[in-house]
Amino acid sequence: MSRPVDLVNDIGEVLLTEEQIAARVAELGRRISADYAEKNLTLVSVLKGSLPFMADLMRQITLPLRIDLMEVSSYGGTATESSGLVRIIKDLSASISGEDVLLVEDIIDTGLTLNYLVRYLRGKNPASLKICTLLDKPARRLVEIPVDYQGFEIPDQFVVGYGLDYSERYRNLRFVGVLRPEVYSSPA
Amino acid sequence: MDHRDLEDDQEQPAPVHPAFAHHSEAELARILSYYQVRWLYEPDTFPIGWSLDGDVVESFSPDFFLPDLDLYVELTTLKQTLVRKKNRKLRRLRELYPDVRIKLFYARDFRMLLLKFGRLGLLDELSGTLGQATPPREPVAAAPGPADAVELVAAAVEETAAAEADGGRAGRGRRRGRRRRSAARSVAHLPVDAASFAGPAPA
Repeated sequence: MSRPVDLVNDIGEVLLTEEQIAARVAELGRRISADYAEKNLTLVSVLKGSLPFMADLMRQITLPLRIDLMEVSSYGGTATESSGLVRIIKDLSASISGEDVLLVEDIIDTGLTLNYLVRYLRGKNPASLKICTLLDKPARRLVEIPVDYQGFEIPDQFVVGYGLDYSERYRNLRFVGVLRPEVYSSPA
Repeated sequence: MDHRDLEDDQEQPAPVHPAFAHHSEAELARILSYYQVRWLYEPDTFPIGWSLDGDVVESFSPDFFLPDLDLYVELTTLKQTLVRKKNRKLRRLRELYPDVRIKLFYARDFRMLLLKFGRLGLLDELSGTLGQATPPREPVAAAPGPADAVELVAAAVEETAAAEADGGRAGRGRRRGRRRRSAARSVAHLPVDAASFAGPAPA
C-alpha cells in the first residue's frame, strides 16, 4: 500500500460506535448463554477479522466453553492461491465431534467463505453447527445461509475496523467505519 | 467431509473453462471455483417474448447457474444507467418463471467483490466494453464436483433432441413458457469426463 494509512481521515463515516458494538455483543452473549445452557459449546472463530469480536463475545458468554481458531485463504491472496482453490491455512486444533459449534464471523456478505466453512465443519460431525456474525450485508449475498445470531445488518458499503481490514490495515479501530472510496481508488 | 478429502480433491486435473463472452464472467467463474461453488455457464435459455404466431422473439440466458444453490446469476458490468434493458428482461423473466431464482450482479456489486478480494486493479480491464473480449480457452481451477452437471447436460441434450424431433411450430408452441436448455453451449462448455470435476459433494 503506497498511500499512507490515516486511521482518522481515511474513514468517511463511523457506522457503529464502540459503545453500540459493546452493547450488541453483550446482548448476543446473553442470548447465546441462554440457548447453550447444558450444551458443550465450542466457539470457532475465523481469522483474522473475527478476532476482536470473538474476544469480546466469549467474555460475554456465561457458560463453560472451548474456543478454536481457523484461517482460510482468500481469493486473490498470495501463494496459497496457486491451486486456484480455497485452502485451510490454519485448521482446528481439536476435534469438534459431538460438540455444539458456534461459528463466529466478523462479516457475511457473499457467503462464499462461510459456505465453504460450513460444509467443512459439518464434515467434522459436530452435534450442532450455528452461525454468529457481527455484521451482515445481505444485499450482496450470493450463497444463502441462515444466520442464527446477527449483530448488525449493514448497508452495502466497504467497512473497516473492529477486526475488518483493507489491505491488512484498519483492523485495530475500535469502531466500524466506512472507508472513503478515494482510499481504495488510489493506486495500491 | 474430511480435510484430507479436500486436499485430494484439489489435486484432481482441472477442466477447461468455456469461452466466456466477457472477462468479468471468467473472473466470477474463477471466484466461484475458488470457493468450490459448482457452476454452469449459460446452461439455460428462457423465452421471454413471442410473436403472434408463437415464435420466440426474445429470450434471456443468465450467465451462470449454480446447481447446488438452485440459483441463476446474471453479471453486468455496464454502468447503472445502461442496464435498463437487462432489468426489463429480468423483470419479465421473473413474471414468467416465478419459481426461478436469479440474482443480478451489477457493476457496483462486482466492484465491491473485487475490492473485497483486493483485486480492484483488475476492474478497468474487466468492466464494460473493455472487458468484452473472449479470452483464450485456458485450463483453470475446476468448478468442483458437478457430477450432476453432467446429468444436467445429458438432460439438456435429451430435451433438445426431443424438441427437434417434434420440430416446427407445434414444438414451439409447447415450449412457450418453459425454460429451454441450450444444450449445445452446455456441452461445449463443460468437461465431458465427470472424473475431471474435482471437489466434494455438498454436505
